[in-house]
Amino acid sequence: MSPAGKGAQRRLRFLPRVGARNLGLLIALAVWLVFLRFTAPFYFNFDNYRVIGLQIAFIGIGALGTSLLMIGGNIDLSIGSMMAVCATAAALAARDIGVIPAVLAGIAVGGAIGLLNGLMVWRFKISPLIITLGMLAVLRGIAILMTSGYAVTGVPDQFKILGGSRVFGLQSPVWFLFLGFVVVGAYLHRTTTGRHIYAMGSSRDAAQRVGINIRRMTIGLFLVNGLIIGLVGLLAASRLGTANPTFGVGFELEVITAVILGGVAFSGGEGSLGGVLIALVLIGNIRNGIIAVGLDSAWAQVANGALLVVAVAIDQVSQEQREKYRRLLAMRERTAQEVAGTDHASHAKQD
Amino acid sequence: MVEVRSVSKYFGALQAVDQASLGVRAGEVLCLVGDNGAGKSTLIKVITGFHRPDEGEILVGGQSYSSLTTLQARQLGIEAVYQDLALCDTLSASANVMLGQEPVRLKIGPVKFIDERQSAKRAGELIGRVGAAVPDLQAKVARLSGGQRQAVAIARALVQAHRLVILDEPTAALGVAQTHASLALIRNVAQQGVGVVMISHSLEDVFRVADRIVVLRLGAVVLDTPASATNRREIVSAITGMDETVGAI
Ligand SMILES: Nc1ncnc2c1ncn2[C@@H]1O[C@H](COP(=O)(O)OP(=O)(O)OP(=O)(O)O)[C@@H](O)[C@H]1O
Ligand SMILES: [Mg+2]
Repeated sequence: MSPAGKGAQRRLRFLPRVGARNLGLLIALAVWLVFLRFTAPFYFNFDNYRVIGLQIAFIGIGALGTSLLMIGGNIDLSIGSMMAVCATAAALAARDIGVIPAVLAGIAVGGAIGLLNGLMVWRFKISPLIITLGMLAVLRGIAILMTSGYAVTGVPDQFKILGGSRVFGLQSPVWFLFLGFVVVGAYLHRTTTGRHIYAMGSSRDAAQRVGINIRRMTIGLFLVNGLIIGLVGLLAASRLGTANPTFGVGFELEVITAVILGGVAFSGGEGSLGGVLIALVLIGNIRNGIIAVGLDSAWAQVANGALLVVAVAIDQVSQEQREKYRRLLAMRERTAQEVAGTDHASHAKQD
Repeated sequence: MVEVRSVSKYFGALQAVDQASLGVRAGEVLCLVGDNGAGKSTLIKVITGFHRPDEGEILVGGQSYSSLTTLQARQLGIEAVYQDLALCDTLSASANVMLGQEPVRLKIGPVKFIDERQSAKRAGELIGRVGAAVPDLQAKVARLSGGQRQAVAIARALVQAHRLVILDEPTAALGVAQTHASLALIRNVAQQGVGVVMISHSLEDVFRVADRIVVLRLGAVVLDTPASATNRREIVSAITGMDETVGAI
């Protein structure tokens, strides 16, 4: 490559995409916190952090599953209703059978639904958006049917330990979030299977040709997502000591917002859990900050939706940027070729 | 040495390959030419295990097979690079080269942790062996040029292919300079002692790299010759089935 070409390449190499993205999120977070510092000084205390931490925890654990799915090129929209079914199943089992069966029931039901979703998405090669959107409605109905629409009450006190206790001052769901991020993060970013998830989301065809089992991986990821949502439902039921068929309405939207804002590409193959974690912290602080400033809590919902739109817009723009860059590269190559072409002609004459 | 003997392949009533035989030695570049629909792609897909031949046998390293599976072909060291390259745009060059063959640093049950340093090192070596310059192995391949992307795809094939690399029209989408670079890569690959089969419609490219040229017409091998012992005119008349010196059939 000519020195001029190299220079141009260096100029055109932006910050690595994920890095720039995370930096942007951190700056947004800092700006928002400074704003709160002046408008709502009471915001900054440990009790408030705990509230935020708890909200982030449920969305964040759910985001682990959606990140895995989305990086692998899939999505499950039914997680909000799935969580309600799992919470209800766990609470019913706790009330009628026992605590250990309740824990197993919550997670197993999630796994079963996730597996079903995975099998359907694999078998009917229609968009997973449509299939799981259908399941969103189906599962919500099932949750209502399970309890005739009422909340499940009268669970034993031991059932409330799992989601309700504090360890070293932090609520157990927050610990589950940390643990989940470490385990899933290591899996996704450090192992061969994690790499293959990225590959599958990036190009199914390429992944298949090097011998990656697309079928097993697709169904497996839906299963894992189901197990994770089962845990979310279980923790919610345990923490509140009750389950209600209206649990998790809009949960999928909150989770997907965090995941996309965190830099996971909707088209798959890209993103990191670190980014998702930063996005979670940002979202938690925006939601609570809006209330702390004294605005109507409906504004928090507006902010949440707006964040999703912004996140998708950023995703699209950076996609276009890359496209532009590639065109530039191709153009430069063509000029190089013309030069090489004349070069070649002169060689031929010498021959 | 990879050889096919009297291989035939039918698609229903259509005979796509008709009693075709050819052999590729280690370190040799064999160019497979022929008109559209002559059966070139079908014949190489028999070798890569994508198609099961209806007749004939495949010999790899002295062992005879009536057909291969794709997995078997890969295990025997036969890899194909298709025209669309099938790269993962959002992964780095190094991740693409080692995809599915990542070196493992630590294994806990089914969980295998990737040895990234080893991975980058091996990918660098392989791309170097192909003789291409990819400035940053950690950059996503979406940022690479067409020629560099092809180098990555060929390097990936080389991870496994110790016997044979098959390239189906590798230069069809490339410009002049990239085609030259690509043909140089192909020669480099053969110099590593790996057999190469290249399908091409460009006789200019064929004569630039081929050690041997095999012409298919209507599924049958009509010419199999050292490149040095033939010329463009002979190849063209073998492809079309028309003797240019006579000017008629
Ligand atoms: N999967 C298939 N099913 C049915 N017919 C096929 C199939 N694949 C190829 N054919 C037919 O077999 C014949 C040989 O096709 P093939 O793709 O091998 O030709 P080719 O020499 O590679 O041509 P080209 O230069 O256009 O790539 C053609 O008539 C084609 O239509
Ligand atoms: Mg073909």
